[in-house]
Amino acid sequence: MHLLLVGISHKTAPIDLRERVDFQARGVELALRTLASRRPGGSAGEFAVLSTCNRAELYIACDDVATAKSELLSFVSAFHDVDHTAIEPHVYDVTDLEAARHLFRVAAGLDSLVVGEPQILGQVKEAHSAARQAETAGPLLNRLFHACFAVGKRVRTETNLGSGAVSVGYAAVNLAKKIFGTLEGRSVVVLGAGEMGKLTAQHMKSQGVRQVTIVSRTIAHAARTAEAIGGATAARWEDMDAALSASDIVITATGAATPILTKARVESVMRPRRGRPLFVIDIAVPRDVEPAASEIEQVFLYNIDDLQASVRENLARRANEVSRAEAIVDEELGKFATWLRSRGVIPTVVALRQSFESIRRAEVERLDFKLSALPADVRDEARARVDEITHLLVEKLLLAPTEQLKSLADPETAATYADAITRVFALEEAEQKSDSRVEPFRAKTRPSGRQR
Amino acid sequence: MNLIPLVLYFCAFVGYSLHFARRTPVSARLATTMLAAATLAHTFIIGMRTMQVGQVPVFDATSAISMFVWLLAVAYLYTEVTTDERAMGVFILPLILALQAIPAFKATSEVRSSVLQGPLFGVHVSSLLFAYASFALAFVIGLTYVLLFKEIKTKHLGVFYARLPSLQVLDQMNQRAIVVGWVFLTIGLVAGVVFALQAHVPTMSIEDPKIFVALISWVVYSFELFAARRIGWAGRKTAYLSALGFAIVLLNFVPISYLFTSSHKF
Repeated sequence: MHLLLVGISHKTAPIDLRERVDFQARGVELALRTLASRRPGGSAGEFAVLSTCNRAELYIACDDVATAKSELLSFVSAFHDVDHTAIEPHVYDVTDLEAARHLFRVAAGLDSLVVGEPQILGQVKEAHSAARQAETAGPLLNRLFHACFAVGKRVRTETNLGSGAVSVGYAAVNLAKKIFGTLEGRSVVVLGAGEMGKLTAQHMKSQGVRQVTIVSRTIAHAARTAEAIGGATAARWEDMDAALSASDIVITATGAATPILTKARVESVMRPRRGRPLFVIDIAVPRDVEPAASEIEQVFLYNIDDLQASVRENLARRANEVSRAEAIVDEELGKFATWLRSRGVIPTVVALRQSFESIRRAEVERLDFKLSALPADVRDEARARVDEITHLLVEKLLLAPTEQLKSLADPETAATYADAITRVFALEEAEQKSDSRVEPFRAKTRPSGRQR
Repeated sequence: MNLIPLVLYFCAFVGYSLHFARRTPVSARLATTMLAAATLAHTFIIGMRTMQVGQVPVFDATSAISMFVWLLAVAYLYTEVTTDERAMGVFILPLILALQAIPAFKATSEVRSSVLQGPLFGVHVSSLLFAYASFALAFVIGLTYVLLFKEIKTKHLGVFYARLPSLQVLDQMNQRAIVVGWVFLTIGLVAGVVFALQAHVPTMSIEDPKIFVALISWVVYSFELFAARRIGWAGRKTAYLSALGFAIVLLNFVPISYLFTSSHKF
């Protein structure tokens, strides 16, 4: 049994292709059900679909990797009605531990467009719960996903990979939170009705800001922008000082050539505020606020360069955390590999048990002939007893070897043991003779180990 | 005996430093557990001494300091549990360590004046000790406020930016600690005056440096509260005032207690 991952992401495919193979749009559940009915590559009925705006990935448990891969490709092209040749060059596929490593890195936020972004772990969790609801998550995928949740959680708590704002808007919000605690109940004044100011105000609004006031030279512009933000009010240019005095956060984004807020003007605005802090975000170029205004106590002035510098610092800090996060991925991958290997000996264990059981059955049947000479009531009793005792005997004999095999961590040793057991008990011959449902086991005992 | 809490407080300090550097859930639990253990051990020792002498042991300067340290630890633990902010621990513990070193290495006086007892004396001492613990907390919070303020103002977002709560929260915590401290300081002073009048202690006068400095600290904190409420002082100014106030309190508490006072040799 192999784990196979087939997918596209922001690293391999352009946005227009990613949009066309978006499973969210067409329904992850439908995709899972379609896969379950198709069973590509002799699959064991284990599928999961991870679909975000930056990636579309299919995780499956299958026997024949090559067949499964081509069948999955044709499934994707049919499901999304996209030409096969359009997808193929952008697709990546990895198996077993490398597939697990990929998912672990995804869950950790290491494979994201913005490294360390927090949403991805939730999306991976959704992918797993969708698979569970559609009953396409078996032992392999369940184990895989739980392991990747552990990776995501550890990376979040043990490293600073997700810390610090990595966009100007977030940086402004983070700073505001560090000054005011919470943004709820705060009021924001935006000078200028342009796009940048609008976006930053919207960002603040989504953080619970109570009131947003747009001040523009043309009241009509201000009203239009206020309407676009939703729940904002417009104020006239002449009323600016009153609006500023009542606000906590000021965003300036006008196209003015000279500073609108001089130090003296900010000072006069600060006077009735009685020491209440004012956070001024100057995102205009050229600047709208005189730099000297930052000398006023309780005025925190940040311009676009300051915010961008903080974003750059945070990105650099995240980059430093990558190696720590990768180390966690490696560690958890090691644990998963051990589990996967212990699964490798399972076919041998099954074959051994079946061999013992068939011997037991044969002997019980031979004895049955002799027992038939006994009186009817004694005979049934004797049969039941014999069956019980032989069964117990086989179980007890097999207990120690089964446990020993499963506990082998080293893949080489496990393969050697499996090989030895297969030969000593002539399991292959037994396999060939019997018409068992168990698949050839020797080939299966190793692949997971060899992939490393 | 007072050495055991000192050692445990030191372990807690190491724990909080570790937490300040690493900020993992494990280091957080470790730090809080260590401090709780230290406080518990300290409680036990104070309890033992209370049973031994039949009264809360605050009648000499050394055991009063031990009591003060204990109150400070309890007050800090309370703030930590209610706000879930641990970054201040690394600032509080050096203060605790420095003060606890005094009772740990100096024997407490067994001689106690027959005058220094009664419920009013208890109210006087315990109110003042509690007030001082609150002021100590306010001082440390004010200190962290100034550190964070500087980082934000100068746009060098670093160590404190990542670890401390917001300026607003620090300012509120500072104010609250000062209000609590001021209320107990007032109660303690009034109780002291009434007690002195009742007990007819001749050396109790405004000329006693301990009484004089206590009154100055009352004036400083009263002004702080007035400035915060009426003039609209906030942030750095009140933080500096709380530092000044606590410097006076500390001056009163350690050097004056041991060296200068005539009526307050405890």
